[in-house]
Amino acid sequence: MSGVDCVQALVHLDDYLKRELTPELMVEVRQHLERCQDCFTHARFEENFLAMLETRASRETCPGKLRARILALLRREAENS
Amino acid sequence: MAEPSTAGRSFDEEALPHLDALYRVALRLTGDTSQAEDLVQDTMLKAYRAWRQYQPGTNAKGWLLTILRNTFINDYRRRRHEPIAMDLETAEPHAIDRSIEEVDPEGTFFSQIVDDKVVEAIDALPTEFKEVLVLSDVEGMRYAEIADSLQIPVGTVKSRLFRARRLLQAELYAHALEMGYIQPRESPT
Repeated sequence: MSGVDCVQALVHLDDYLKRELTPELMVEVRQHLERCQDCFTHARFEENFLAMLETRASRETCPGKLRARILALLRREAENS
Repeated sequence: MAEPSTAGRSFDEEALPHLDALYRVALRLTGDTSQAEDLVQDTMLKAYRAWRQYQPGTNAKGWLLTILRNTFINDYRRRRHEPIAMDLETAEPHAIDRSIEEVDPEGTFFSQIVDDKVVEAIDALPTEFKEVLVLSDVEGMRYAEIADSLQIPVGTVKSRLFRARRLLQAELYAHALEMGYIQPRESPT
């Protein structure tokens, strides 16, 4: 049977979760995770961590006053150029 | 003529939507709201003046974040009380990740940690780790874009990212224990 083993799956896991692998390797790692409970659980852990980071740390937004200040600055810059 | 130029319009359409991301990264880098605001403003002015160098339709967010990061390094970083960086290539995060997984295999405790604590833990990371983590895992940039932006090899991006995540997991795990979100497993010894 072809495909990746646990060691290779672990090596590729971060890249897999960030979709940075070749299409072939994406499939092979996914197939390994489907048939290996330990690796699947480990992948879930990392996935939960990454999902938490993406949502929790991206809620801050540019304050309205700053946005207005920048827009005014850019308008002045455009008029002067 | 008060009519905005084509360049002005494309800048508005391509650059302005990224103000939130720029502000977040500026906050993480400077650790200070007033410096973050100045940094974003300086970045937008530089970007506007250099807009002819930007290739329309390519990665505006990456282009802007590169300007922001360079501006931070050149004009802001030396103003900060930067702790002496640990030796980044040898700094090994605690081998704690495996023990976290024994207690909470799927990491469900992560969802219980409040936003402020997550941000605080990110802010406490050494800058070199923090910037790759924020660019990759918060702002969604690709390895190659980060490597390009930071002028470091992709392999270095990945190794810093790996260490940054382990450090952050260890910190959040310690916090979760302290708050009672998870119970430590009894040591068998």
